[in-house]
Amino acid sequence: MQPVPNASVFIVDDDASVRAGLAWLLRSRHLPSQAFDSAEAFDQMLRSGYVQTQPCCLLLDVRMPGMSGLALFETMVQRGLTQVIPVIFLTGHADLPTAVAAVKRGAFDFCEKPVSDNALVDRIEQAIVQSDEFLKRQLQQEVVGRKIADLTERERSVMRLVTEGLPNKLIAEQLDISVRTVEVHRARVFDKMDVKSAVELANLLQHR
Amino acid sequence: MRRASLLDQRATFGTRRWFLWAVLVVLVAAVLVMLVWLAGRYEESQVQDRLDRDATDAVSDLRSALLRNVESLQALHSRNPVQQDRWVQDAAGLLHEHRELLRMEWRDAKLVTLAQANTVYRAPVFDRLGRNNAQSDVLLACTNARRATGPAYSPSYFVPQNEGLGLELMELCLPLTVGGAVTGFLVATYSLNDVLTELIGKQLGRGQDVSFTEADGTRLAFHGASRRGNRAFTSSQLLDLPGFTMVLRLDSWRVTPDLFPNVLTAMVVAMTIALASVLVLLARDMRKRQRAEQRLAEALAFRKAMEDSLVTGLRARDLHGHTTYVNPAFCQMVGFSARELLGPAAAAPYWPTELAGEYQQRQAIRLQGNSPPREGFESVFMRKDGSRFPVLIIEAPLIDAYGVQTGWMSAFLDISEQRRVEEMSRASQERLQATARLATVGEMASLLSHELNQPLAAISSYATGTINMLQDRTQPESNLSLEEAMRHIAEQAQRAGRVIKSVHDFVRRREHAREAVGPRALLDAIMPLVSLQARKLGVRIELRLEDYLPAASCDRTMVEQVLLNLTRNAMQAMDQPTVVDRVLVVQVKRAASNERTSHIHGWLEFSVADAGLGITPEVASKLFTPFFTTRSEGMGLGLSLCRTVIEQHGGFLEFGANYPQGTVFRFTLPVAPASQIARTI
Repeated sequence: MQPVPNASVFIVDDDASVRAGLAWLLRSRHLPSQAFDSAEAFDQMLRSGYVQTQPCCLLLDVRMPGMSGLALFETMVQRGLTQVIPVIFLTGHADLPTAVAAVKRGAFDFCEKPVSDNALVDRIEQAIVQSDEFLKRQLQQEVVGRKIADLTERERSVMRLVTEGLPNKLIAEQLDISVRTVEVHRARVFDKMDVKSAVELANLLQHR
Repeated sequence: MRRASLLDQRATFGTRRWFLWAVLVVLVAAVLVMLVWLAGRYEESQVQDRLDRDATDAVSDLRSALLRNVESLQALHSRNPVQQDRWVQDAAGLLHEHRELLRMEWRDAKLVTLAQANTVYRAPVFDRLGRNNAQSDVLLACTNARRATGPAYSPSYFVPQNEGLGLELMELCLPLTVGGAVTGFLVATYSLNDVLTELIGKQLGRGQDVSFTEADGTRLAFHGASRRGNRAFTSSQLLDLPGFTMVLRLDSWRVTPDLFPNVLTAMVVAMTIALASVLVLLARDMRKRQRAEQRLAEALAFRKAMEDSLVTGLRARDLHGHTTYVNPAFCQMVGFSARELLGPAAAAPYWPTELAGEYQQRQAIRLQGNSPPREGFESVFMRKDGSRFPVLIIEAPLIDAYGVQTGWMSAFLDISEQRRVEEMSRASQERLQATARLATVGEMASLLSHELNQPLAAISSYATGTINMLQDRTQPESNLSLEEAMRHIAEQAQRAGRVIKSVHDFVRRREHAREAVGPRALLDAIMPLVSLQARKLGVRIELRLEDYLPAASCDRTMVEQVLLNLTRNAMQAMDQPTVVDRVLVVQVKRAASNERTSHIHGWLEFSVADAGLGITPEVASKLFTPFFTTRSEGMGLGLSLCRTVIEQHGGFLEFGANYPQGTVFRFTLPVAPASQIARTI
């Protein structure tokens, strides 16, 4: 019943029993998890050339000895990882203001301890969905990029003017070529970009 | 402004003084001039008098000389009969003797000349014009003489002489009678000039002229020196002869410088010098006085400025307690004007009405001669508007120049500002402490909640996970794993229990901090803080301690905190406008029910009573609930903590109504065992 296949959850908490408890809970909802006993350990993993390709989510305890959850979050923000790894903070009552601030800076959510557990898992699943969407969009953009790379210089200029909505005649005037040539280029761009209309092409390029 | 007016005043003084000086000088000069003038006048009158006297003498001399001449002439005819030759001879003799006579004639009754004689000193006078020219004058004189039967004179007449000169002549006619009948006349001719020369001239002094004039001032004859001065004194005397009247005029010539007699001049000069020197001395004295005056005025102004600029109030009282002096600062301080404060009638309107009795007593003690403390004492005064303010009074005896005490001098400092600052710093310190406490409590709570949250989170996770698994039929889980989850739950529950126990242990640990402390020491420790607030809220504190109280066995810091809490609550309860008599009573006594066991040696009962509005039943029910408070800045931990502390000591904390109003809080503490006292000491 996984919302997204191959999803995984990272748990970072200094308390072993909390980690174990959360892992048990996630397992009961068919979510595989990976636990880290400190922020440094997780940071270590991120720095050692790790590339996230599967949808995932990070449960991060705010208050920990050594590197705090917030410090870890800060490095992730700097490295632009918070989209691919959505962060859910686990906080005590006293840390509420810090958690709110963190959400404003891009954390997915925060959850007060002790947690109402299934609600937490629901949020985790939503985070995973977001992560998955992000990954898919990233993938698609990579494909489009590759397709654009296949186009010749002239085809790219024609494509740019087509997406701006200019008719063939005007494109021909601007590029100082015949209308007939524009039509040939246009057909080849549509072919290479694997689209059937100018609208479709514009949609494809919109997310770049 | 004041300085300017002072200068103005000084200027007017100066002008007026100089004006007076000018008047004085003018008066003195006037007096001197007058003196000189009077002296001159006096001298003049003296000279005039002398002249008048001389004139009178001259006239009488003249008259007697003329009379004598008449007699001499009569003597010519005294023998009868008179021989003509003999007469001429006698007449010539007479003429020789009397130079003033020029000619003598013997005439008969019909005025025919019988005999005649001329003076030898002159050429015959009538040669040039003839004797007949003078016949009318002779006739007039002789007619008069016949009528009066006595000598008579004719008016004078001028007979020109050679070389343009002339003589003023006068005829004397003497009737010659025999048996009452006139038989003839003796006519003698006088030269007026020679009359002057011969009859008066010799007696005249130098510088005097004598002349005959007619009544209208025409000069007839003149004799005298040439003038020798430019100032003339004149005296005229009438010379009345039978048949002819003329004026003898005496002129005296004086030189001006001589007008002033030497003595007078010397006197005037001496007086002038004396006056001048007196004036100079006076002026010098005056200037000295003026300078001294100015110095005095400056010193006075300086002192006055000093007194006026002081912020310290000054007040002097005499030995009867009457205020004799107040400075502006004092007036400003109490808001009364100096007039309201001074004088024997004025009481002290700045004494608060409720304390007046006490102050009266204090003043009485002072007047008996008891010196106040040198460093001053604090008191409360009342402004005119009725507001009270604290003052620091420094009193000292007022000793006059003879070393006799004449009263008391007091200096007043308004210390309400100082009080306010003290109050503020205390309040801010309290706030700081409260914040610190709050932070500590917050930190504690956060730590505790984290410690408890961890096991609770784990328990919750296991439980939810287990429930999820039990519900999820699609994934048959082994009983083994469920059992493991349950075991984890139990472990975590125990862990939470341990956390709570450790907190309890922490509180327990303070029990070892018990020591023996005397109740007085406990109260002394908190009194500075309490009295500060009491002063601010106008609360009077009464301490009632039984004699010979034993020491209490307690955690000193905690119990002090309890006492501080209770007293502060009590004072705040009285901080209501309706509470008039604000009194806080702190009482310590032996508890009535003294249970004694092997390790309890009796109890001390502390009570803190206020006269506030009391506690409503609604509040009373929640009074010891943690985090319940009626104050905005309160944490609501005070009373519950107090009760916890007291109960940890084995005592109890309770409250009840105070009579006639307010609330009283009581708590008990165990009496320290002898061993503990020994250890503490």
